[in-house]
Amino acid sequence: MIAPRDMMYLDYAATTPVDARVIDTMSQLLAAEGDFGNPSSGHLAGRRSAAHVEHATSQLAKLLGCRENELVWTSGATESDNLAIAGAARYRADRGRHLITMSTEHKAVTDVFGSLEKQGFEVTWLQPDASGLVVLDELEAAIRKDTQLVSIMHINNEIGVIQDIDAIGSVCRRHDVLYHVDAAQSVGKLPLDLASAPIDLLSTTAHKLYGPKGVGALYIADRPGCHVEPLIHGGGQQRGLRPGTLAVPLIAGFGHAAEIARAHMDEGIAHLRKLRDRMWEGVRDVEGIVLNSAENASFPGVLNVSMAGIEGESLLLALEPLCVATGSACNSKDREPSGVLRAIGRSDDLAQSAIRFSFGRPTTVADVDFAADRYRRAVERLRELAPRGVA
Amino acid sequence: MTNDPYSERVRQLFADPDHAGDLADAEQVHVDDQGVRITLAAQCDDSEIKALRFRAWGCPHVLAAVESFCRDYEGRPCADLLDFRAADVMQTLPVPTEKLGRILVLEDAVRSLGQSVRHDPTGETE
Repeated sequence: MIAPRDMMYLDYAATTPVDARVIDTMSQLLAAEGDFGNPSSGHLAGRRSAAHVEHATSQLAKLLGCRENELVWTSGATESDNLAIAGAARYRADRGRHLITMSTEHKAVTDVFGSLEKQGFEVTWLQPDASGLVVLDELEAAIRKDTQLVSIMHINNEIGVIQDIDAIGSVCRRHDVLYHVDAAQSVGKLPLDLASAPIDLLSTTAHKLYGPKGVGALYIADRPGCHVEPLIHGGGQQRGLRPGTLAVPLIAGFGHAAEIARAHMDEGIAHLRKLRDRMWEGVRDVEGIVLNSAENASFPGVLNVSMAGIEGESLLLALEPLCVATGSACNSKDREPSGVLRAIGRSDDLAQSAIRFSFGRPTTVADVDFAADRYRRAVERLRELAPRGVA
Repeated sequence: MTNDPYSERVRQLFADPDHAGDLADAEQVHVDDQGVRITLAAQCDDSEIKALRFRAWGCPHVLAAVESFCRDYEGRPCADLLDFRAADVMQTLPVPTEKLGRILVLEDAVRSLGQSVRHDPTGETE
């Protein structure tokens, strides 16, 4: 017997709750007696705040395997993506104006490329294979003498497919093209070693790894030709790349979240894999189910499934109290079928019925069993309502 | 919650579709348009709607609208079916304006049912 619940959150790919230890770190800085100084100020209060930023920078650098001087704090992954893509494209515009990305990237990436197209840049939009992966031969064939930047994400936010970022980066290095990775879904969840990886720019955010919303970071490799033009101006903070007074409590929270993630990464992956596999076992025999997450190249924190003959919006409501996503959380109110799912070959009918379950640290086996049972019942109920021969 | 896309009434109708199902010996129509599929069945007697049932495939607003129609029209004169207006449902549930096309599919289905019943006032299929 599964007990009724008011709400069950299975949307950790959209955002995560802030870890209690991170809240404690931030609270100390937000308190009246905390270190409130402007970290750019030279006096004691400023230097105390600056020390928190330096500590957080060190914590994040250790998680990413990079040097502290290669990190720039931002407001989140969207800003990091904008700074990386638009900033690098403009910095290298004198060398060429051709850019490459995939149609299945997050909107924080695709919309920047769309904007750059309007500004006279030429963009090649690669299509994925049936798993959602880039085809390396197609990527290499798309690179031209005037290509300056490739942007391909690490973990896809909708279906969880993991791109081989080392292989992609190696192709880019062979052609002296910058490689940007939107790693919003992977930082703190999968191991990264940017010191050895052929990656030039990498975007991340705190709120996907149990840190606060409103803070992110951009890794900019300290190597020749790898630089970005700032998008905003004033103040000169962060070497002028992203000026503005630093949000010390948020940055300190991000740093602490990064340290916790680094300490528990292996057990975190094992936990997610156990939950994902159990969820799939709980629903895989429902007639008409289609697995959208690649079986062999998928992040274990995400399970994306479609259901033949089921209307997606009604399924989402019938699933309550589950909090799950129909697609990218950022555009879940947009009822257009997911472009990612269409790109991997799903029909509009299958794409609109897609549900993304994503699991996190607090998720338990009992949660997953409840969710699987709820999914089966919701599908059964909607099929009972449908006209004969439809579902 | 202010950003809830569904009113309490829509949620209640969606959760308890008492009129979902089939009717034996009933007049029946089926429409399929705008990504919405609706089957309506009516049993009439002495020009009065005795029973209504539906099957539907669509968003929660569509399912709620069909259930709402069935609840409202049982016991009414069959002729009322011809006067069913999507606009009234849009307002009472309410349904967001961008879904008007889907509710018009229900209007088509109800009026088509009204025509069928008028031609066969017993409501019995041949």
